[in-house]
Amino acid sequence: MTAQITVTEGGIPHNTLMIYGLIGSLIGIYLTYLNTVTGTQLFSFFGGLGAVAALIWGSSTIKRLCSYGIGTGVPSAGMLAFGSGVIAMLLATKFGIASPIVALVLGLVIGAILGYIANNILAMKIPVMIQSIAELAAVGALVMIGFSAMATGSFTFSPLSVVQVAAAGGVVNSFAASLIGGGILAAIFMLGAMALQHGFNACLGPSEKQDRTLMLTAEVGFLSMIMVAIFSFAYLGTYALIISIVVSAAGWYYTYAKYIALSKRDAAAWLDSKPIVEAEGH
Amino acid sequence: MSALGGSGPAPGGAMNPVAMLVGFVLAVIFLAVIFVLAPAALIPLIGIIVGGVLIGFGVHFVPVGGAPAAMGQAPGIATGVAMLAAGAGLAGLFGGAWAAGQGLVVATVTGAVGGGLMMAITCMMVNVIYVFGMGIPAASGKVTKDPLTGDTQAEYKSQGTEGHGLPFISFVGGVIGGLFGGAGGTLIYLELLGVYEQYLPSLFNATAAQIMPVAVSLAGIFAIGMFLVNAVLAAYNITGTIEGPHDPKFKRFPRAIVASLVASALCGLVAILIVVVNLNI
Repeated sequence: MTAQITVTEGGIPHNTLMIYGLIGSLIGIYLTYLNTVTGTQLFSFFGGLGAVAALIWGSSTIKRLCSYGIGTGVPSAGMLAFGSGVIAMLLATKFGIASPIVALVLGLVIGAILGYIANNILAMKIPVMIQSIAELAAVGALVMIGFSAMATGSFTFSPLSVVQVAAAGGVVNSFAASLIGGGILAAIFMLGAMALQHGFNACLGPSEKQDRTLMLTAEVGFLSMIMVAIFSFAYLGTYALIISIVVSAAGWYYTYAKYIALSKRDAAAWLDSKPIVEAEGH
Repeated sequence: MSALGGSGPAPGGAMNPVAMLVGFVLAVIFLAVIFVLAPAALIPLIGIIVGGVLIGFGVHFVPVGGAPAAMGQAPGIATGVAMLAAGAGLAGLFGGAWAAGQGLVVATVTGAVGGGLMMAITCMMVNVIYVFGMGIPAASGKVTKDPLTGDTQAEYKSQGTEGHGLPFISFVGGVIGGLFGGAGGTLIYLELLGVYEQYLPSLFNATAAQIMPVAVSLAGIFAIGMFLVNAVLAAYNITGTIEGPHDPKFKRFPRAIVASLVASALCGLVAILIVVVNLNI
């Protein structure tokens, strides 16, 4: 009685995408470390690019997992990914320069245990379950650490939980104004989770095409990146903010245009709707 | 939407003894790690596990209908567990967090009431939309008589459907699920908050009042993360949809309790380690 999930074969193999996403994401997040090396904040936007790379990998994983019909809907996979990812990410931020790699490893470990619980204790018996949930938790951790790095210019625990603010003629440590203390992490959580699950949730069906699904994920990822660029207004200088907004808006425009082009390619027919003409005399 | 509705012969209440044993061993290992690294956090970790189990158990009461319910072909609330958990559970969590200063019992009960209230409002509005918007009566497909009111169901059930609308027993189940979920989420939040209030001041070399925003945010985001993990694992156990406590799928809850126990122990361990691991790098 249920709607069958169909996914088309072909396209780039999942494992290739996984390697690209993983390496691209780590490189992007580590490029934000140029901030510390050069003493500026201008390289923060690389964190967002790393997050988008991880999102594309995660979207491919969700497609692979959900094609088995897990029964709970595609968004639940995104929520599980970020629910476990945020736990891995926050502990990983304690490891200084190694944080992104620790986030990846910790995400894989936590995800693998959760996958074992789902597959064996709950008897889901889906062949790719353990690997997929491990990948999803790692993606969740990498996306959150990437967006956090983009918003604050750093990916370690102290800069994420304490910031210096000017008050009463001096500079004081403020916990409430920080990314974690201010609750901005919760907004990043939801922005990332939506970007991760929307691509396949919107595109699944008989004529699903890999490039269109992944392009939509990238598009929503850049849309989230615009929001994170606005968050960075609280932590970074004007030039860094402008660079972040320009990069994310350009990325969004490019992927949006590409997505519309791919949708036109896959559609049976494409009719531009006109505004409803107001009939006179009513 | 997706294959909501649990097609085919679902794997019933079958247990996998080896996996259960592995799960219990893992949970004991996680507890032992905390006992060695931070003995003061052992009781909070047990509280977190109880909270997670309450969430996993509570999800089984909630009438999750999914896409078939949205089309009027199956009873329940017409969305997935992830959305219901985020809505009702977090409403309870916010209520409990608001009462956090009143002590453990008051705050947990407040969280339970918040979650139950949110589910009661959701269930009522769902039925308003079903009855007045879609024009369908409430009828269960899994039982011939409502276990609470004794009303017969078959006369109201349309042919070719598994029932529709939100029968009384499902409504009651939804409220009970909200009570469990809200209490569990609040319990996780309170236990983590206690751990962070204890450890963070020395970590940052600041006063307890200064680190309060970080402690509250960390506890809150971890509680949300654990809530979603437990809710989605419970959703996997019921393969996406359930009518409520009268549904045969409800009997699968022991598996979900073990799953929530292990998952909460793991997530709680990591959440506590964040204040125990101090590398100064």
